[in-house]
Amino acid sequence: MTADAAVKTVDTTRRAVPFDTANIPGPKMAKPMMPQVAGKMIAKAKRPLLIVGSEVHDKDVLERVITLGKTGIQIAAVGNAYKSLGDKGLDVHYINMHALSYYICDPEWQGLDGKGGYDLVTFLGITYYYASQAISALKHFSKTKVLSIDKYYHPNADMSFGNLKKDIFIAALDEIIAELQKE
Amino acid sequence: MTIKKGKFVIEGLENVQINIGKVIEEGVDGQIEGPTPKPEITSLRNWDYRILDRYNPVYTPTSDICDYCTYGKCDLTGNKEGACGIDLEGHTARQALMTSIMGAACHSAHGRHLLHYLIKRYGEDHPINVGPSNLKAPLTETIMGIQPETIGDFLPVLAYVEEQLTQLTAAANTGQEGSARDFESKALHAGMLDLLGMEVADIIQISCMGMPKAEEDTAMAEIGMGILDPTKPVVVCVGHNIAAPAYILDYMDENALFDKIEIAGLCCTAHDMTRYNKTAKIIGSMSKELKYIRSGIPDVLVTDEQCVRADILREASELHIPVIATNEKITYGLPDRSGDNVDDIVNDLASGKEKGVLMLDLEKVGELVPKLAMKVSPIRKAKGITALPDEGEFAKLVAKCTKCQQCTFDCPQGLPIADAMEAAANGDLSQLEVLHDKCVGCGRCDYSCPVKIPVLNVIEKGAQRVIREEKGKVRIGRGQIGDPEIREEGRNLVLGTTPGVIAIVGCGNYPDGTKDVHDVVEEMLKRSYIIISSGCAAMDIGMYKDDEGKTLYEKYPGRFIKGNLLNTGSCVSNAHIAATTIKVASIFAGRKTKGNWEEIADYVMNRIGAVGLAWGAYSQKAFAIATGCNRLGIPVVAGPHGTKYRRAFIGKPYKKDDWNVLDARDGSTVNVEPAPEHLMITAETFDEMMPLLAKLCIRPSDNSLGRAIKLTHYIELSEKYMNKMPDDWHVYVRSEADLPVAKREHLLKTLETEHGWKIDWDRKKIIAGPMRKVDVSFQPTNVPRLCKEVSK
Ligand code: SF4
Ligand code: SF4
Repeated sequence: MTADAAVKTVDTTRRAVPFDTANIPGPKMAKPMMPQVAGKMIAKAKRPLLIVGSEVHDKDVLERVITLGKTGIQIAAVGNAYKSLGDKGLDVHYINMHALSYYICDPEWQGLDGKGGYDLVTFLGITYYYASQAISALKHFSKTKVLSIDKYYHPNADMSFGNLKKDIFIAALDEIIAELQKE
Repeated sequence: MTIKKGKFVIEGLENVQINIGKVIEEGVDGQIEGPTPKPEITSLRNWDYRILDRYNPVYTPTSDICDYCTYGKCDLTGNKEGACGIDLEGHTARQALMTSIMGAACHSAHGRHLLHYLIKRYGEDHPINVGPSNLKAPLTETIMGIQPETIGDFLPVLAYVEEQLTQLTAAANTGQEGSARDFESKALHAGMLDLLGMEVADIIQISCMGMPKAEEDTAMAEIGMGILDPTKPVVVCVGHNIAAPAYILDYMDENALFDKIEIAGLCCTAHDMTRYNKTAKIIGSMSKELKYIRSGIPDVLVTDEQCVRADILREASELHIPVIATNEKITYGLPDRSGDNVDDIVNDLASGKEKGVLMLDLEKVGELVPKLAMKVSPIRKAKGITALPDEGEFAKLVAKCTKCQQCTFDCPQGLPIADAMEAAANGDLSQLEVLHDKCVGCGRCDYSCPVKIPVLNVIEKGAQRVIREEKGKVRIGRGQIGDPEIREEGRNLVLGTTPGVIAIVGCGNYPDGTKDVHDVVEEMLKRSYIIISSGCAAMDIGMYKDDEGKTLYEKYPGRFIKGNLLNTGSCVSNAHIAATTIKVASIFAGRKTKGNWEEIADYVMNRIGAVGLAWGAYSQKAFAIATGCNRLGIPVVAGPHGTKYRRAFIGKPYKKDDWNVLDARDGSTVNVEPAPEHLMITAETFDEMMPLLAKLCIRPSDNSLGRAIKLTHYIELSEKYMNKMPDDWHVYVRSEADLPVAKREHLLKTLETEHGWKIDWDRKKIIAGPMRKVDVSFQPTNVPRLCKEVSK
């Protein structure tokens, strides 16, 4: 996938209701977000982190995550994501997501590479309810901005895609990649 | 003069009777040895703070609002305060407290019910007999400071638990406690009370009901959804309390009915039925409850308490299965027929006049249930009653699916049901068979389908081939670990030459199917870990067979030594797993136990490589057990659903000062490796969980041989399941002798090139790099008063 390739624009703001029907946290829920917005926010962040979990192994998703990683963004491989990402020449680090969600809240934490905390974290490819709980910690106890570019609507994030069918999800990831490759 | 228990009349004062109850004797056995017998809410607060300072509570709220009181609902988003002044952190900590209280109340109320019943049947003076042990009730001794001898000795123990739980519950009212940290200290207190309540419940039933007493080689019980002969009358007991099922088993025994009636249990009652009478069988955990009822096989359902589905009466009555409720805690609005004639009740239930009855006279339960099963069964079987569709209906139902995915949205596992329906419509049932293992049997999907497909029934119908094959074996619950076994193994555990004890506990809410629990056990047994299990997890381990048709229980013996697989028994037998660490501290290391919680927990945390795995934990009880283990210094790993407990205890390895301990020899401060790194944490997947378990078995006290063994497994499991060396393996290396032998040279090279350590290659020795040296006499402690001399 390159910036020159034709990238169709998809609407990722539909079906912005919690993927688990009853996962309604409270009055503040994520703003539905278009892919270009996500791409621009990641591109503009000073210290972004992409958090990728055990749903990354799907061939189409993996391909996109590798391309995203090649744009230079640091990747936290949570769950067993490292298995598919470890040997791809990316800036990728294994960490337990439950611990990570707490460390991000700690202003003293110096990040996965010891170079400082993160101002924007983006979730992708993680067991839905598990990610939802981790994002909940960040929502309430950290100042870090949270995006979800997963195929699920994550109400606890600041901004999130809606619940997406696979083709739209993949197209949305392509749009983000194109956006990052522009910068 | 010796004062004895009894009734006395004084000469000349014939109208006066003196009653002398329990006589507490002075002397070695009765002596309190530590500072906190019967700890009050704040007695162990300093210990809790030590834990919480290192293992910080991590909150993952499921709801941003609080609706506890009529000030609310209050929006606490972003840790705002509600109308009463509590913030989201405090409120979530309060939920942790309430969850622990609920769990502890469940187990101790179970114990209270059993104690009433057993005292009535056997008398207060019935002796405790748990097998070859002097330390008969380790938790009771450590918490209460007493050494119980008779079941009546547990009366003040439960009175203490109940009083403390009332005090703790009061702290959760609006306008009481406001500090998250103190809510957590109280939650830890509730967790400890939970362990105590469980110990009472299990010791008294072991002592009175002929259950195995620390036996390593108990018989095998059959387990699985395919084990019962559905052509016979089938009785299924659901829940946790053996009192009622024991009467049924006795009646069947006395009337030679075991050939005529099939009797089995669902959830922990099943374990205790097999411990009471090895003819009984086990169907499985709570996740099998709805599935088995829907099969239509049970002819009578007997409920007691805990882990009984709230809809069991409705589900059962739809299939004309009468329900006999036998415990005050679950009464379902049923008529209390405890005073009525058994034959009248049988007639009313068999005719359908009543859907079920409440029967609190347990002796009558014993007679009622088999008689009812014999009467109802031919009627039900003649009608062929089942909720599952027949072949023709099944084909129509799977074809009806519109792939809207609403069921997946509602499924707590997010299972890909629509795909499986499509495959089934094309004649491929394999995906439904996979779903059957991953499905936790909650029934939520049935409510969601807009075209009214009874999804769970369709899954179960499609999986009939594998269900028929579900026939495993479980070694019947052994109870405690006896003192001689501890004497034999304690040293290996403390030095680390047995890589660790892994307690496989909790319920069946597994993230990716039941087989995971079998697989983790198999891997760790091959690596010589000791596996101790109990409750639903202990059942699930026995559900799978190898190519030769053997289950893990048949392949691995049940002694408390490396590479063995032990089943302690039911949910309340969890107490013995925690208590084993107390036994090691007492028997192997000579630590005083009575009223000495802090010292024992400090010993456990620093020296005993034990870790709990609650991979499918769902209940408040499981949370309470985990929290109690945490207060005892035992780390616990939960599956991803565990994040919905909303609180974990996570260490920060990057904060060096958090890992300072004292050397008890002189009170000097030693900065140690982060071990154990966390006290309560989750993992997303099986692959991630495997090396985490190995890592959490590492302790500061390991000797070099032990550390090398533990590091070998940590590294190998990480390489096998995560395709990588762990990032932090070097943190646990204190000298070249700590390195796994087979990889020593390679690892020395890595330490030099990647971590900048200095190596003397002639002698193959590490010259500089490690955070500390190995010191075989090091006595790590987190408690200043345990140091001989506090260093300046
Ligand atoms: S019964 Fe099984 S498939 Fe249905 S919602 Fe529950 S877990 Fe999912
Ligand atoms: S809810 Fe019903 S129709 Fe929709 S995907 Fe599930 S089974 Fe099919």
